[in-house]
Amino acid sequence: MPLQSAYYPDYYSIDDILATQERIPCKFLQDVPKLGKLNPATEETDLKSGTNLELPIWLALDISTSRQPIISPDLPKVYKEAYREILKADPCAVDLHKFGLHFYELGSYVKKFDPRGDVADILIHTFTLRFRQIMDLTDNIISDPTVVQKLDMLERNIFKSAHDSKVKLISWLMVSEVPLEAASMVINHKKRKRVDEDII
Amino acid sequence: MDLDTDELENLMEDDDDVNVQLTSAELIEMMEEIWVNEKFAPEILPNKSEIVDCVLGQINYMERNLNTLQCTDFKKGIHQLEVDRIRYLVTSYLRQRLEKIETYVFHILKQEEQRAERGELLYLTEAEQQFAMKYKEGLKQHFENVTSFYPGLPVEDWRNQLVVPNIHSFVFLKARNNVEGVVIDTGRDDDNDVVDINPGSQMIISYNSVVDLVKNSDVHLI
Amino acid sequence: MFGEKAYILIKELDRSRDSLPPYNTELIGEIGNEIKQLIAQNQEDAQVTEDSHAAESVSYIPTVKIRHAAIKRNVRCILAYHYNRIKCLKTMRWQFGSILPPDVKANLSASEIEWFSQYSNSLVHYMRSIGEDGINLAVDLKPPKSLYIEVRCLVDYGQFELNDGSVLLLKRNSRHYLPRNECEELIRRGVLEHVV
Repeated sequence: MPLQSAYYPDYYSIDDILATQERIPCKFLQDVPKLGKLNPATEETDLKSGTNLELPIWLALDISTSRQPIISPDLPKVYKEAYREILKADPCAVDLHKFGLHFYELGSYVKKFDPRGDVADILIHTFTLRFRQIMDLTDNIISDPTVVQKLDMLERNIFKSAHDSKVKLISWLMVSEVPLEAASMVINHKKRKRVDEDII
Repeated sequence: MDLDTDELENLMEDDDDVNVQLTSAELIEMMEEIWVNEKFAPEILPNKSEIVDCVLGQINYMERNLNTLQCTDFKKGIHQLEVDRIRYLVTSYLRQRLEKIETYVFHILKQEEQRAERGELLYLTEAEQQFAMKYKEGLKQHFENVTSFYPGLPVEDWRNQLVVPNIHSFVFLKARNNVEGVVIDTGRDDDNDVVDINPGSQMIISYNSVVDLVKNSDVHLI
Repeated sequence: MFGEKAYILIKELDRSRDSLPPYNTELIGEIGNEIKQLIAQNQEDAQVTEDSHAAESVSYIPTVKIRHAAIKRNVRCILAYHYNRIKCLKTMRWQFGSILPPDVKANLSASEIEWFSQYSNSLVHYMRSIGEDGINLAVDLKPPKSLYIEVRCLVDYGQFELNDGSVLLLKRNSRHYLPRNECEELIRRGVLEHVV
């Protein structure tokens, strides 16, 4: 009986931690003594101002926002104009998984580095159009598995829950009875036990 | 849920000490409503312990009556099923609340404190409050066990990062009363639309636009 | 890069979302060491910065800031690891009951075992306090549709006494027609299977 809610990451969210590990291009604006090891390309002890480096977004956000920012972050290429044009033309034809595992989550972080708001617009545009496609997909229970591979993580989760509720609805319509089941973790526990026994 | 209320009333007809003007059918209807509200509202709602206690009392009473029936009596089975179904309503409702208390424990307790300071009605029952306090302590203790190895650690981080419900999520509702001029929160400060809600009408709307209406029963969630 | 180990820890949890992997004492220790080291280095450099305030020497402020961000990241991952394990344990309390299977218990840390028994107690305490004589919230998880259901037995369970006093033998693959409310818990625990 998990609490149902939309994607709304909090401090402990695994998805958000995974998404904030994605890297974005940054340029150092100050010298950073002793932390040369952040740059795998050199052996120097200090990191010099002007160095270009890809940093995980959790770090980039933290050190780019103060009054004296240490770095200046840039948009990853999939959010830049060339790619935005592709998405604008036909977002449904795109393999979003190749754009990034966490396309929307990362996008909603980097959109603040784009003051004109083009990134924010393209995120909404992409999601709205692709959402319809995802809903169509769930209607075809035996769908082409390669289509699902073209979704990013957020879309996959949506697809999965939509698919699950579809299956539930159909089974309810057919037998109008909800079978009592063993608890999901009990089932998993049994399965693992069986595997362990087989090994022995 | 399709409850056979006539049968229920037969079971309860010689119940003199329940001193309410509600029929059992109305009571069950209210129970259903608070259950659905709690199920779909993203945040915890004010407790309805008076209704829950009433329903629990009725369940007890009906079960006592059932025990006087012969096992072979066909009616017994039917009534037992009704009792089970009503009990499901109550337990499911209480489970929903527990789940929210656990998930948002720091946030909820903080809000309760503020309500107490302002002299407002508390949302949690006494038992829920106790449970919440223990749950919070348990979690804090566990985290302290984990982080105690690093003196000088910035712990303020997790203490300030409360898990809060997403009150902007969308809900379906059905209106009971006429409400005029409900401001639709679009998440932006400008161009807030206003909508009038007519009795019996249904709509989908972001929860934070109708929080007060849900809490004072002008509308109920579906 | 800082926080790589913490990332591995979270990845590990992500891979097994509906079960509980063994408590990774080793990796947590390593992350702890990274945190300790970062704290120590920061204290040292902050001291230098303070001492050489007047002189126009190198500024360690960016260094300290970056390390501080790394400490926060590591702490977040460690707490998220423990928080999500607790969430999983909580679900287990509802599914297995107050006694965990030994192999599950073997995967827990001492603090987690302590948390579990405390959670279990306050849950029981809460359930007892509802209504006149308490109510068990761990049953009636789905709306009941019928009084009797057909079940198949999955294991050799042995004797089982019904509320009316009759005793029956639950043998593997035997089929029974039983009152739903009396066998719901056995179904949840995987002893019986509901035949639809």
